[in-house]
Formats: sequence, C-alpha cells, structure tokens
Amino acid sequence: MDSKHIRNFSIVAHIDHGKSTLADRLLELTGTVTSRDFSGGQAQLLDTMDLEQEKGVTIKASAVQMRWQAADGETYELNLIDTPGHVDFGYEVSRALAACEGAVLVVDATQGIEAQTLANLYLALENDLEVVPVINKIDLATAEVAKVTAEVAELLGVPEEEVIAVSAKEGTNVAAVLQAVVDHVPPPPETDADAPLKALVFDSHYDVYKGVIAYVRLQQGRVDMDTPLLMMVTQAKTEPVEVGVFAPGMTPVKELAPGEVGYIATGFKSVREARVGDTITDARNPAAEPLPGYQPAKPMVFASLYPSEPDDYENLRTALEKLQLNDAALTYQPETSQALKFGFRCGFLGLFHMVIVQERLEREYEQDLVVTAPSVAYELLMTSGEEVVIHRPSDLPDPALIQEIREPWMKVQVITPTDYIGAVMEIFRRKRADFLLTETLDQQRVMMTFDVPLAEMVIDLHDRLKSATRGYASMDYAFDSYRVDDLVKVDVLVNKEPVDALAIIVHRDKAYEKGSLLIRKMKDAIPRQMFEVPIQAAVGGKVLARVNVKALRKDVLSKCYGGDVSRKRKLLEKQKAGKKRMKMLGNVVIPQDAFLAMLRLDED
Amino acid sequence: MRRAAETALQARATTLYFGGGTPALLAPADVARLIAAARRWLALTPDAEITLEANPGPLDASRLAALRQAGVNRLSLGVQSAHPAELAVLGRGHSWEDVARAARQARAGGWDNLSLDLIFGLPGQTLAQWRHTLDAVLALEPEHLSLYGLTLEPGTPLAQAVASGAHPAPDPDLAADMYLAASEDLHNAGFWQYEISNWARGAHSALEVWALPPAGETERIGPVSRHNLAYWRNTAWLGVGAGSHSWWGGSRWHNVCHPRDYIAALAAERSPIAESEVISTALERGETMMMGLRLAEGVNAARFEVRFGVALAATYAEALNRWQAAGLLVWDGARARLHRRGRLLGNQVFGDFLPD
Ligand SMILES: Nc1nc2c(ncn2[C@@H]2O[C@H](COP(=O)(O)OP(=O)(O)O)[C@@H](O)[C@H]2O)c(=O)[nH]1
Repeated sequence: MDSKHIRNFSIVAHIDHGKSTLADRLLELTGTVTSRDFSGGQAQLLDTMDLEQEKGVTIKASAVQMRWQAADGETYELNLIDTPGHVDFGYEVSRALAACEGAVLVVDATQGIEAQTLANLYLALENDLEVVPVINKIDLATAEVAKVTAEVAELLGVPEEEVIAVSAKEGTNVAAVLQAVVDHVPPPPETDADAPLKALVFDSHYDVYKGVIAYVRLQQGRVDMDTPLLMMVTQAKTEPVEVGVFAPGMTPVKELAPGEVGYIATGFKSVREARVGDTITDARNPAAEPLPGYQPAKPMVFASLYPSEPDDYENLRTALEKLQLNDAALTYQPETSQALKFGFRCGFLGLFHMVIVQERLEREYEQDLVVTAPSVAYELLMTSGEEVVIHRPSDLPDPALIQEIREPWMKVQVITPTDYIGAVMEIFRRKRADFLLTETLDQQRVMMTFDVPLAEMVIDLHDRLKSATRGYASMDYAFDSYRVDDLVKVDVLVNKEPVDALAIIVHRDKAYEKGSLLIRKMKDAIPRQMFEVPIQAAVGGKVLARVNVKALRKDVLSKCYGGDVSRKRKLLEKQKAGKKRMKMLGNVVIPQDAFLAMLRLDED
Repeated sequence: MRRAAETALQARATTLYFGGGTPALLAPADVARLIAAARRWLALTPDAEITLEANPGPLDASRLAALRQAGVNRLSLGVQSAHPAELAVLGRGHSWEDVARAARQARAGGWDNLSLDLIFGLPGQTLAQWRHTLDAVLALEPEHLSLYGLTLEPGTPLAQAVASGAHPAPDPDLAADMYLAASEDLHNAGFWQYEISNWARGAHSALEVWALPPAGETERIGPVSRHNLAYWRNTAWLGVGAGSHSWWGGSRWHNVCHPRDYIAALAAERSPIAESEVISTALERGETMMMGLRLAEGVNAARFEVRFGVALAATYAEALNRWQAAGLLVWDGARARLHRRGRLLGNQVFGDFLPD
C-alpha cells in the first residue's frame, strides 16, 4: 500500500484501563477477526501466552494489520502495535513506540489519570507520536465522564471535544477511535524510493520451523524474499525464510514497502541474533547508519535458581536454554552453592520479569525450583583502579580492596490520593529513598517523585504501597543512575559457616537492623536439630547479632500400640520424606524456604 | 470370636485385653462369657494375662469385685492427673477422689495387678504439679505405670482451645523435663522402665535408668504388660469387636467402627472388616524395628534373623552406624536398642528403619 494510506499506532494505558478490550473491538470492527473468534474462551486476542491472560499484562509486543474504510471512502492499512504492559519492559515499549506515528491513550473514566498513564504519555511524546485521547468505560455508573475528559484535555492541551468517550466493552463509539487515527495520526514519512533498507526490529519470537521471527517496521527501503539481510548491530547475516504481515495470524506477502509493519522470518536460532532495537538492512546495499535508540538488554535484578532435586540440574539448564531462545533479556550462568548445590545465577529486567520467568519454568517446563532472594548488580571501583560488576552479594571482595561501591537507583513516580501522602512518605523513608517533589494533579490526588535504591525496591515495595493506600496508589519507575553509597555485605553464618546464598548487601546504617531481622527469620524457618545451631549475622568477620536454634529435645510418639502401627508408621514416613526435601548445610538440615527469609525482612 | 478363630487357625492366645471405649460398662457376666469364648475359640491359656481398661468414675466396689470374679486379672485405670484443673483441661469426668477410691476398692476386691495411665505436658502444667501427681499416684502403689506426653491432635477440642488462645500452647522442652524428672522419680521408687512410655514395679531393681532387662527379657522385670509386649515385639494379634485391629499372616486390618454396622455385618454373616493392608516383608522388618526399638530390651538380632532369614546387621548397617555415632542407639552385635538419650528422640531414629 502507498504510505499515505498507512497508519501505524499503538494503544497505551495504565493497567486495567481497557487497552486489550479496545484492541479486540478494533479488530472486530475492521473485520480482522470475527466476534466468533473470541468465543473460544480466549477473551483477548492479543495476549497470546496463558500467563499474559492470567496476569492481565502483555509481555511481548505484537502487531496486527487491519484494513478499514474511512469517512473519505478510502481504505486504509492500520497497523496496531501492542506494547508490553509492564515497566520492566520499558525498553521494549520504547522500541514499539518508535515503530509508530501515533498512540491511542486510554484512560478509565472511573479512575482518571494514573502513574502509568503519565509514564506512557511521556514515552509517546518522546517518540514524537501524535496522541489520540480516549476515555473508556463510560457505560459504568461510576464513570466521571466530564471530569476525566477535562483532566485528559488539560493534560494534553487539546480541546475537550477531541477526547473520545467510548465503552470498549459494549463497543460504543469505537469507530470514532479509528476515524481519529486516520485523521490525526500522520502517515509514515515519505522516503527516497531508492534509499537502502532500514527495518526496525521492535520485537521477536522464536519459531521452531522458521527460526527467529523479527517484528519489523520499515523506515525506508523494501524487503522481499530475495533480499539478503544484515543485522546492523549484531552483524549477523541471513536470507529471509518468509516475509509477511500479521492479519492477524502470520500471512506471507511478496514484499514489505516503506512505512509498513510486518515480520521477517530470519532462520536465526536465537533471539540474540535479532535483538529488539536492531536495524535490518540489505546486505548488498547496506544503510550507512543503524536507526538510533538501540540498547543491549541489561538485566537489573539477579536471583539464583536451583532445582529442588539436584538431579534435575540438566533439565533446568535445558529449560533455561529454551526460554532464552525467546527472551533476549534473560541471562544465566552456572553457579554452585554449599547447600543448594548446582544451579544458575539469572539476570532479569526487573522483578516482574523474574516472576514471569520463574512461573514459565514451573508451568511450561515443570521445574520444581528454589529461588533465592533477588538482589541487584553492584559496580565496584577497586583500589587498583579496576572496575568490577558483581551480581551476587557473596561475590563482594574484601572491603580493603574496594575504593567505592555503587548501586542502581530508580526514579519512582507515585500517584496517590492526598489522604495517603503520609503513608507513602513513610514507606519510602524506610526504603532509603530521596523525596524529590510533590505535584498536585487535582483536588484529590498528587504525584510524588522519589529516588530509591533498586535493592530496596526489589523486595516488596509494590505490595506495601498497594496495601498502605488500599490499592489507590499507582506507581511507575525507571532506572536513574548508579550512585556511590556506604554499603556493606552482611554474612549469615549457620553453625559458624557463612552461607553464600544468604549474604546480603545493605547500607551500613542498616546492617545491624537487617542482619538481626534476617537471622531471626532464619531461626523461625530452621527446624530444631539434635544439637544447638547458632545463627549469626556478621560484617567483615565481626559478629553483629546472634540467635540460637535450640537443640531438639523431644520428638517421639509416646503411645504406640497395635491399632496405631499403620498410622504412626505413616507419620514417620511423612517426616522422613519431608527431611529428604531439605537441604544440608554441613550437618544442619534446612528447609528450602529458609532461603527466602530475606523476602520477609520487612514484614513486621 | 469364632469368626476370628476361622481367620487365624491354630491361634493360641496368651493374653486378652478389653480396651477401647468403655469396656468397664460391660456387665461382669458378659465379660465372663467373652473370656469363656476366648478359651474355647482362641485357646486362651489358663495363666493368660487378662486386662480391662476403665475410667475411675463409674466403677464401684461391687462391680470391681465382680469383674475380678469373672476372671479379669489386670486393671488399667485412666488416671491422667491428680489436679482438678488439669482434669478439666482434658475434659475428664472423674476426680482424683474417684481414682483413690477405685484403687482402694480394687485392692479390697482382690486385684493385684493395677496399672495407671498419666498424661504430662498439658497446657499450663508446671513441673512441680507433675511431680506432685507422680507422688500421689505412687502412694497408691500400682504395679504398673504408663506416662504419655500430650500430643495435640488437630481437630480435637483441646487443640482448638490452644489455637484460639484459651489455653497456653504446651512447651515441648518443659515436657522433656517432665519426662526426665519422672524417669528419675520412678527409678528411685523402684520402677523399671521397659518401654518409652511404660514402667513396671521391679522384682529386681535396675542399677540405672533404661537398663537392659535381666537376661534381655522384659518379662523378668516384673508385672509388665505382656499384652502390649506382643505389639512391641510385632507378634500376631487378633481384634474382636467394632473398630478393633488385627495383625495376622502378613496382613493388618480393622473392623468397621460403628457397633451397629459391626452387629449388622455379623448378623448377615458378612465380614466386618473395613480396611485391610498387606504388609510386605520389607515393611514388616521396618515395623519390627520401629516397634522393637521402643523397648529397653531393643531388637534381638538372633530372633530377627530367625524370623526374617536375613541378618539385622546387614539389613540396617547404615542406620545402625549413623545412630550409634549420633549417640542415640546402642548396637553391640547381639541387639539394637535405643540409648537412654534416644528415648526422647525416637522418631528421628525409627524413620531410618522404614523402607523408602
Ligand atoms: N464496564 C466496562 N468494563 C470494561 C470496559 N473496557 C474494559 N473493561 C474491563 O476492564 C478490565 C480491564 O480491561 P483490559 O482490556 O484487560 O485492560 P488492560 O489491562 O488495559 O488491557 C476487564 O475486566 C474488562 O472487561 C468498558 O468499556 N466498560
């Protein structure tokens, strides 16, 4: 199609404001899918993974091509690019937006503007997108259409008439959204007919038959089956296996033209060779420069995964390999720990990414896992002048060799009703946050901005915020910078032996508090043994705090006669099986969940 | 009983036990009939130990005398405690006065083998209270004592009362102290501990707590429970009546629990068995260890080998070594027995003798 008749756009919204529902209606209205396609139990078409449906969050982008006849009687090609719905995937979102000229901003008329509404809007504006404002759920009695319309119009600096009020659920006024996309979103810019190919990879997935499928937006040039391909960042070369569009399933086409959105099946065996943000060019006539904005995936959060049964180590490795085919951001490295034996240190984009990976391993690959508490990457400047990055606390070298330790800080925005300002302040104060500013959004709500060490966030910040504000506050965050701080490693010693998987890095001022809390949690998690087990928290070999798991004194069935034999035997068998699942630290038996004691540090 | 005899041909019963529920409510004449039936169908030996379990409350002098007359020769009373508050925690209907009276009347009625049951580790119970109960009970000069540490069985009213905070949670360390105190006190009073929870007044007195019985045979100690000894040595037994258990010929089974169903089954000439479990040889060996290690005499290696055709040492080399090294077990090649220290940690040891 000529580029004047192409519109590339995405829908952005705070979670649950109705992005997926609206997308479904657009697909129906354009006849891309029939409403029958929705009846098969799959409520939302764009969320393909089970987990996505369950968590209500899109994890991977997708792109659907729709055809629609607008008011002017012309038929347009509308490419809807769905962006990942979680801040952990902020980079992927930014690449997906870079593939668009416009964004439909959906705001729930019962909730108003929330943290991710703003974050997404800013991302769209950074990418120079035309924004089409929509307020949704106007069918609900609690919808405050006038108020939220005014709010959104003011935020965007547009007249209120431009805010389209819809009910995605009932399909009310949805055609107006498509018309606005045609009218307001600009077509892809005209390019020189013989400019060399530049296709932005904004997502990819692995297909067993066709290799890595790169989702692309052509900024300039054309691609067909005869175009030899060069990945400008990774320098990988290949021939297309297939070129096509999503309509909505993979549909081969002869060629993709400038401005179009579609896919190229590359035959690559790993998504690492066609990374999000890379530029595909024609190997015969390569472009001089790749498209701007590429960043290598950078894991921020680290945790160790161990098989519950040491025998499953190879299975876990295979499962991680397979997952990685589809997940360029996931990293893993074999590691060993005294108690947990052989496992992997894995890197994730954030806590949500970590949970997703863990759940996929457990469900799709049937792995029974022990996951250690998450930590972050620390940058060290050694006294020798060398720069080192460590991914687990136990790797922190002797403090005498370290000149400075830097940890990642995030910028966090919280939107909360004014009633909870105090509660929010208190939560962040306990997380070593720097409070930056409060902005008034309307009479009831403010936006507060903080800088917070990521290490403090990975534990339970989100849950705490939700419970302290009864679910009213919303939050968004992004990486800010690495900062120097006075950090120390707290070792946990069980029966005088330091346990690598339990070491934590904390601010020196908090070492005593966190250390003693951690060992108390450990004490609760470790069953009494036949001897007394001291648990100590130490910094640099100096013990800060100690608790003892008292020796087990009584463990015997006092009554055992004829009629009891089977029942009592089964009790003993159960006890024995439970013991088998536990891990050995020297001669101390500890249950797997003791390794998560740190996750419960802030419970009291 | 005839039915039971058909299952177990050639049974020769050496003990008879009226237990479970409230057998003391049976009319003495019915008790006599049951004993006669056991002599006829199960060849109950003339010198058999015949025990009857009873709560102290409903007993009176004439019933006690009549039961003795009917042929019962051992009386086991559920005393539990000498403290009214503790009896209330347990929801028992009797008082300490009932116990003292029943014991006196039993002696007057010719009973010379009296066993008393006590419970320790109760919510709110102190060590001093427990020792006081022991003193009071010893003053009744019983032949035999059973001391049970309280286990809170989930779902029981007591467990619920503790969960709701109506009673303090029992402290397992205090229970251990109570056990050790009792062990001392009873030893000093001339009782010989022959099982984890059972003591008999010694014909001989042991030199030390948890000593090996004379010639390694528990019977020689004095008035031990010969019936229960059969359980711990894992020899065969037959149960008659609703809810009763049996162990015979490689199987263990139990009858339907409700008396009504039991009677209906017998009337219709149907089997009253509710559930039956075939015990493999490996499991039988494990159970023999699990039960036998409860006894001070332990498990006799020679008998084990005769019974199973394999050596004890070879069958359980690893477990024997491990627990010997841990100091909870004594293995001298002739017998395996718990060390004195192992009495309170038996569960740690027993599991390792069960098949995986
Ligand atoms: N009443 C009503 N509910 C809606 C409407 N649009 C979406 N919903 C509901 O709002 C919830 C979140 O919608 P979803 O499309 O999954 O939100 P997303 O997280 O932004 O993709 C779902 O339960 C939808 O059924 C609407 O217009 N009216």
